[in-house]
Amino acid sequence: MIKRLLPMLVAGIVSASVPTTSAAATDDYRISEKPLEMTIHMHFRDKYAWDENWPVALKAAEMTGITLKGVASRVGTNSQEMFNLMMVAGDLPDVVGGDALKDNFFKYGMEGAFLPLNDLIDEHAPHLKQMLADNPSIRKAITAPDGNIYYIPYIPDGKSARGYFIRQDWLDTLGLKQPQNVDELYEVLTAFRNKDPNGNGKMDEVPYFARQWPELIRLVTLWDARSTGSDAYHEFYIKDDTVRYGYADTEYRVAIRNLAKWYQEGLIDQEIFTRGARSREFLLGNDLGGMTHDWFASTSGYNESLADKVPGINLVPFAPPASPTGVRMEENGRIEVKPDGWAISHANEHPVETIKYFDFVFTDTGRNLFNFGVEGEHWNMVDGKAKFTPEVLNSDKPVNAQMWEIGAQIPVGFHMDYSYERQWTNDIALAGIDMYEKGDYIIPQFSGIAMTVEERKIYDKYWPNILTYMLETQQAWILGSRDVDDDWDNYMKRINDLGFEKVQAALQSGYNRQYK
Amino acid sequence: MSSNINNKITGIGQILRKDWQLYLLLAPMVIWFIVFLYTPMAGLQIAFKDFSLFKGIYGSTWVGFEHFQTLFNDELFIRSIGNTFLISLYSLVFAFPMPIILALMFNELHHAMFKKTAQTIAYLPHFISVVIVAGMVVSFLSPTTGIVNLVLDYFGFEKTYFLTNPDYFRPIFIGSTMWKEAGFESIVYLAAIAGVNPSLYESARVDGASRWQQIWRITLPSILPTIIIMLIIRIGNLVEVGFEYIILLYQPATFETSDVISTFIYRVGLQGSQYDIATAAGLFNAVIAFILVYSANRISRKLSSSSLW
Repeated sequence: MIKRLLPMLVAGIVSASVPTTSAAATDDYRISEKPLEMTIHMHFRDKYAWDENWPVALKAAEMTGITLKGVASRVGTNSQEMFNLMMVAGDLPDVVGGDALKDNFFKYGMEGAFLPLNDLIDEHAPHLKQMLADNPSIRKAITAPDGNIYYIPYIPDGKSARGYFIRQDWLDTLGLKQPQNVDELYEVLTAFRNKDPNGNGKMDEVPYFARQWPELIRLVTLWDARSTGSDAYHEFYIKDDTVRYGYADTEYRVAIRNLAKWYQEGLIDQEIFTRGARSREFLLGNDLGGMTHDWFASTSGYNESLADKVPGINLVPFAPPASPTGVRMEENGRIEVKPDGWAISHANEHPVETIKYFDFVFTDTGRNLFNFGVEGEHWNMVDGKAKFTPEVLNSDKPVNAQMWEIGAQIPVGFHMDYSYERQWTNDIALAGIDMYEKGDYIIPQFSGIAMTVEERKIYDKYWPNILTYMLETQQAWILGSRDVDDDWDNYMKRINDLGFEKVQAALQSGYNRQYK
Repeated sequence: MSSNINNKITGIGQILRKDWQLYLLLAPMVIWFIVFLYTPMAGLQIAFKDFSLFKGIYGSTWVGFEHFQTLFNDELFIRSIGNTFLISLYSLVFAFPMPIILALMFNELHHAMFKKTAQTIAYLPHFISVVIVAGMVVSFLSPTTGIVNLVLDYFGFEKTYFLTNPDYFRPIFIGSTMWKEAGFESIVYLAAIAGVNPSLYESARVDGASRWQQIWRITLPSILPTIIIMLIIRIGNLVEVGFEYIILLYQPATFETSDVISTFIYRVGLQGSQYDIATAAGLFNAVIAFILVYSANRISRKLSSSSLW
């Protein structure tokens, strides 16, 4: 109890003793007159660590007077481990940030490791306060079970992520149209298989392929089933305020029956479970792959990069084919709130200054800084909009990689600006993205449930085994070593024996508390 | 009584003083053991605690045997124990004799150049990383372009997607491990064979023993102590099937036969961040391993005169 009260007490004393300056003043972002240095542990995407010499960090320090000094080791290759090591070492830095830390922020926040930010935001962070007031769903998503906010999240912008891509040139060769529904898709894939669209006289075409095998399971959406609820694989989804799981729905049975048939008939890459991450390069580069489901931005680049190797290649995005009930669904989109961001540790002696720094990132100036880099160096204001300089846009390196190197577009608590990505997305992808957004195909992504200690115990105890069993059975059904219709009743009974209903009930109670 | 103890202590003191150079040489290893193996054992207590990274090993609350109960009510954990034993048992039966046979075969080679080349080729796979071996296995067994399936297809058999069929997992795993390690493991036996007194062979030849009889009556009995020691070590590792290679080869479709204790710990403990349960599973593993080694050693001491301690 004392441990939990102490930080709040410290926060109270500090906020009382420091005269509050108007943080909303437009061109003065100074938080501390004397240069203030604080420490930050931020290791992210298994590769990067916060560096106070990043141009973005230097600029932010110059404008606010606060320097965040990175203490995470730059040689680490597993961000989750780096976070765990920091927690175990016990000597917490002032600020902790990184990707996929939401559950940890909640768990250890409730144990007293991180400060509750609610009052700090209300009193010292007008921009954050406004943003949360404008987006109640974001506020709900980042609120821990005890009602406190422990971290400021990375808020993505834009909706689209992955989409369906097909070889238009193969369709043209065979005199076919883009498939509009699942039956037409079946015919197209069958034609890809049998009619030798690559014209080499061999039946070596791979009609549907994917880099990650869960993208094969994603096809269950063609029969109105669901494979996940968020931008991660195998997650729960929400329907009419109930927590549901795709692999326990009746639609899933029908969908798997069909996918097993497709696999059997060779419409799906026979090696989809083992081919791995390079399958896209390999299958497109050898003129073998016909259709896939993958990221708009990266998949649309192959027509150009493979133009010499595969003459005439024309891989284009197409609208999700309609299910038998007429629904066109794109299950994968951008989540509203990322589980990434940063938090203030209980050891921080300047929580007010820190929250003001967090708030600075949500001002227009701060947002541009963390999205585009330093004005005049990486971008210029054109017609009131940030435009990257030609040097950035025409570099050999992708723009996102350049941004990561200067400390922009990293998983701190910031609001992403989609125009950053639009500026260097090619026309093929842009056309696809516009088509998906106009058609309203992308379904909302669920931001996840903040579980109490008891709920998490139930989840941790039962869920890993249920998921293992479900995935095991799923692959057996698709590979044809077992039959979904024979197994179904036993399967449903088995997952309940393994505790499925208990997990569902725990999540439902969490959902009701957090979102209802 | 107390004078007896005092005598003993002065005795130890004298021994230490007398051979201090030897003990000095021993010291680094002892320190290494204390710092890196015995001190961390204090961390084993989290198997009986509700472990929180923030509260630390000593600050977390005790929960008694809750994690062990969870584990033993978990049929997937039970299955992983079974799989671990089966994989180890099959490797004991098939993979353990391999290096011995190989060593005997190398020993019978008399063309020096050929012998050296053959040995080098047999050792080489040991130096290939498991990641690469797994990549080779995946591509050799690929249903469309893998050499194995191309051969099968040529002879009119049906192509098989080996790596998604639980029945093939153990043969693939043990077979490829055998290919990788048998050559290198044979070095120990070759060394043992090199230590056999040549006069034994000479007198056997005078008595008219064939080469086969020489192997059977002289070589094998002479290297039996080495074989026994290696067997005891092997039995100690019966519950330890390394997870890296399995993770590289397995699929949910083959979990039925491929999910072993270490991969279970990896999935539940590290990916799911449940360090306390993972530690409980690891502790259980260690206790079983200790019992196995201890009994193997007892049996060996009774049956033959060689033992680890």
